[in-house]
Amino acid sequence: MIHRTPWYAAALLATLAACESRAVPPPLAPAALAAAPWTEVERQARGTTVTMAMWAGDEARNRFFRDAVARTVEQQLGLALRIVPVADVADIVNKLLTERTAGARGSIDVLWVNGENFRTARQGDVLWGPFADALPNSRLYADDARATDFGTPTEGYEAPWEAAQFVFAYDTRRVSEPPRTLAALEDWMAHHPGRFTYPAIPDFTGSAFIRHVLFHQPGVGAQRFAGPFDEQVYATGSAGALAWLRRVRPSLWRRGETYPATPADLNRLFANGEVDFTMSYGPGFASERIARGEFPDTTRTFVLDEGTIANYSFLAIPFDAPNPGGAAVLINALLSPQHALDKLVALGGILPIAPDRLSASDRARYLAIPAAAATLSFEVLAAHRIPEADVHYLLQFERDWRREVLQQ
Amino acid sequence: MPPVERQSLRAVLAVAATAALALGPLALMGVTSAGRQWFWPDLLPQAWSPRAWAALAAPGAGIGGAFVRSAVVASLVSVAAVVIGFPAARALALHRFRGRGPLMLALLLPVLTPPIAAAMGLHTVFLWLGLTDTWMGVAIVHLVPAVPYATLMLAGSFARFDTDLEWQARTLGASPRTVWLRVTLPALAPGIAVAAAFAFVISWSQYLLTLFIGGGQVQTLPLLVVGFVRGGDDAVAAALSLVFIAPTLVIFGSVARFLRSY
Repeated sequence: MIHRTPWYAAALLATLAACESRAVPPPLAPAALAAAPWTEVERQARGTTVTMAMWAGDEARNRFFRDAVARTVEQQLGLALRIVPVADVADIVNKLLTERTAGARGSIDVLWVNGENFRTARQGDVLWGPFADALPNSRLYADDARATDFGTPTEGYEAPWEAAQFVFAYDTRRVSEPPRTLAALEDWMAHHPGRFTYPAIPDFTGSAFIRHVLFHQPGVGAQRFAGPFDEQVYATGSAGALAWLRRVRPSLWRRGETYPATPADLNRLFANGEVDFTMSYGPGFASERIARGEFPDTTRTFVLDEGTIANYSFLAIPFDAPNPGGAAVLINALLSPQHALDKLVALGGILPIAPDRLSASDRARYLAIPAAAATLSFEVLAAHRIPEADVHYLLQFERDWRREVLQQ
Repeated sequence: MPPVERQSLRAVLAVAATAALALGPLALMGVTSAGRQWFWPDLLPQAWSPRAWAALAAPGAGIGGAFVRSAVVASLVSVAAVVIGFPAARALALHRFRGRGPLMLALLLPVLTPPIAAAMGLHTVFLWLGLTDTWMGVAIVHLVPAVPYATLMLAGSFARFDTDLEWQARTLGASPRTVWLRVTLPALAPGIAVAAAFAFVISWSQYLLTLFIGGGQVQTLPLLVVGFVRGGDDAVAAALSLVFIAPTLVIFGSVARFLRSY
């Protein structure tokens, strides 16, 4: 008889037993955070570790947080910063939803989030708060930036952090004067067939592009889209917008039979001269890519005369954060003018705080930062800023685009 | 003579085409990782830059740690998948029993279900077990896709294995241990090598399961690769992809050598 003992089963059980759970620190109530003097909150957070989950697809950005930011918060606040790189924040939100259902302990203290992911997180009740108004530095941010996120009231469950504004990029060697209105863009496309395209929905950037078409229909305007979803307003704008998108489709790259799937794909088409424009939510993206050698040095950015969509991304605390007090202290530090200015120097982009809200010394430092050639000034961007609309407009228009533009 | 020459020419062309198909993408990634300002239709970049490789080599970049973590997890998974799959493969290949078909299906289910659905379900189970956010939990969850593959490959080897050899050795006085070491193991060694290599590569390339069960706390190489690919930093993504592919090439190269020598 060939005899075999199931030793592998014993080994597996031993392995399972070895993975015991860690101790859970005592919880902190959001109300206690709001009631405590801020110096006391900072004192209690000293010496703790804060784990922050953030999108990490950019090497310069990763390096900035790993080195400069981690050093600053360690020296000034005694916080040990741990970065958890994330490819897509939606994955983390899904993880939190599962943790909520399973009643498990969490591992992440700070989450970089906005828009749909925030809405999903709020609906699933997986955020800790309200906390944002308890942070001293949140007062520096504009009220509208703090109040809503794609039409979803933030209710203090996230604090505004980074400013984004939609910009287009072009190469001055190929296009001498870019079209700065929707009508001019349509005209340009008619004269240059195959030289323009946008990322396919549901890509975030592509979705923002078609929203500009929706907002900027003659006689509509972005202001009409402020406030909660209104069927009447939507119908007025969407008919013309869908017609516009269908009209220009034959003039798109590959006659609109296919679209780039991501902004990264569109950037490659642009860099290789297959199309003449690319676009991004990051006002500094072209400067960044010139520096990396991915775009020609002659690349510049522009905004539409009618305005381009601006929004904020936010920092939130998961409901099961092991260290919510430390998370609040870290977020406050990341909202500070010092951090915003350091980041502007290191990574470019735009300042999320209006310059006139800065102290005199911070403003002097801000004005001394040399502007990147391909990034528009804060003033130009601010003069062309239109707000993000209720997320239901976005979802409805994406559905209609699929049905009436893509499938035509 | 001419037909022979034509034949050898054809063979050379076939080898060259295969090599180009296999090495072309690697060469492309190599150039992308070190090039700057590389725009169509230029054959080569306008300038070269060590930026991407320097970024990977930077002390805080965590590439070395992620590499070691991935390698440890994948090695454990490789051994465990073979150990777990071995008896199952033997039973499936050598015995005809009731419920064998459904059992095969059950074994394949983790591979057949959409990864996101499997990952979310497994996440809940692992939360109950308290195995999330640990590298051990990640290694165990990698067994879910690795074991079916290992089992099927071993079952293939077992199907060609003659159990009478084991009985013959026994009747000649060999102990069960000797039979196992001198008869069974050598006969199945090629299957074990291939199964182990596949289990290693399956674990090595897991993204979604690692993200869910590791909770982002267990940083393996695929997590970093996907981040850079989605972020659109092509140079860093290409450099990291080359680092990522290297062990796979080494492993399949040595398995191929082993099989040839066998």
